[in-house]
Amino acid sequence: MKFIKNHLMFILPLLAILLGAEFFMVFERTTQLYEKGLKESYTMMVVSHKPVELSQLKELNRHIHSSEPIQRERIVSQIAKGLNRSSSQEILGALPYFYNVGLDSYMKTSALDDIKLDLESDPNIKMVETFGTNHDSSYRLFSFIKFILNLFILFMAVVSLFLIMKQMEVWKYTHEERMKVMEIFGAPLMLRLGVLFRVAIVDAIVAGVLMSLIFFYVKFQWAERSGIDIIMQNHEMLMEITDLGTLFISALLIVIVAVFSTAFTSKGVRE
Amino acid sequence: MSNVISASHLTLAYNKGRKEVIKDVSFTIKKGEFVFITGPSGSGKSTLLKSLYGQLKPSEGDLVVGGLDLVNVKQKKLQDLRTHLGIIFQDYKLINEWTVAKNVVLPLMIAGYSVEVQNTQAQRLLKHVKLAEHANKFPLELSGGEQQRVGVARALAKNPVVILADEPTGNLDDYSSNVIWDLMENACQQLETTVLVVTHKIPTVFSLPYRHFIIENRGVYEVH
Repeated sequence: MKFIKNHLMFILPLLAILLGAEFFMVFERTTQLYEKGLKESYTMMVVSHKPVELSQLKELNRHIHSSEPIQRERIVSQIAKGLNRSSSQEILGALPYFYNVGLDSYMKTSALDDIKLDLESDPNIKMVETFGTNHDSSYRLFSFIKFILNLFILFMAVVSLFLIMKQMEVWKYTHEERMKVMEIFGAPLMLRLGVLFRVAIVDAIVAGVLMSLIFFYVKFQWAERSGIDIIMQNHEMLMEITDLGTLFISALLIVIVAVFSTAFTSKGVRE
Repeated sequence: MSNVISASHLTLAYNKGRKEVIKDVSFTIKKGEFVFITGPSGSGKSTLLKSLYGQLKPSEGDLVVGGLDLVNVKQKKLQDLRTHLGIIFQDYKLINEWTVAKNVVLPLMIAGYSVEVQNTQAQRLLKHVKLAEHANKFPLELSGGEQQRVGVARALAKNPVVILADEPTGNLDDYSSNVIWDLMENACQQLETTVLVVTHKIPTVFSLPYRHFIIENRGVYEVH
């Protein structure tokens, strides 16, 4: 029982840190996907007196990425139904030019306002509509959820680190005497730490395997049936196999730091 | 005979030099000598011994053990020196979660000997200290005298240049004490090992010629 407890005391905090790291990576990727979606679907509308080329818009602001003219004839045909041809031509002549303008990245409302100002500085540009408020509100909500989650992950990581430090105290108590005797007889550091490393690496592997099981369950079972569009559509991308490598390496790094910290905080033999 | 231990104007102190235990002492010990160091409790006997295996760095003076200057020694060199010392403690300092056999071959393990060599040597050494049948037991299953014999076997495992023994019979009855003295006498006589023993009382039955130092009032004096 004590044996299991001793191991769980290290495995559980380590697992919490690994889960936190995985959640962090997943949410980073989800946010990037969401931002990409917003960026690709977002356009602002530019109204100009005369036709305007993409290069001219780019000169006004470097974030302008694409420009697609809206067919004026179609607008006129819809608003001038029942009018004769010459009236339609008059309306077409008086109608300004409309463009859907895309940006190179996701922008906040304040940045959109700056772009609007840049574009409107050209006398040829009559009006710019950014649709900024709608665009920003959903992203702000998403960012807020992400911030709360990151805060929770950070809190979990800090608590887990404290638990690992507590376990290091237990290790110190358990292994200090053996390490001291070995040091007196001239054992090099790595030999003295051998037993501790074996214990810690086994714990790291157990934590890594548990993490992998959770990972595979979420990826192949839960994600497809989650009912959350962005996760269902992108579950392959959200949790990547390379994450497992990252997590195993992180677990080993934590183990190495924990074992060496235990050794260096133990009272050495030389006084 | 060459000097194995050489101290010159040696001062040993704790608390960063504030509490001096040994002050300005000089002595030499040659290869193959058997040396007793006696003195009242708290006189600095164990402190002197600690300095000889590098646990306590001298505050002043010079201290050379096995050709190594312990005042300016690097950690790696100190480790090397320790592999050539056999150290025996009053409280045995055995590793309780290891078997008796594994405890005995600790110096061989550190020196990187193969498992086969370690096993053979463990059998030989335990037979030598009359504990062959206890090889697979754990230290806490043995009596104090038996544990100290394991400690002596461990100290002899790698034919050390010097054996440093700190009150090796302090907790033992007369029979066990005599066994320990015999083992150390044999090591000194047969292997020309230098033996330095810190003790409060020199054994009455002792066949080898020996040197005797007394530690008193922070000084070390040889008794002739």
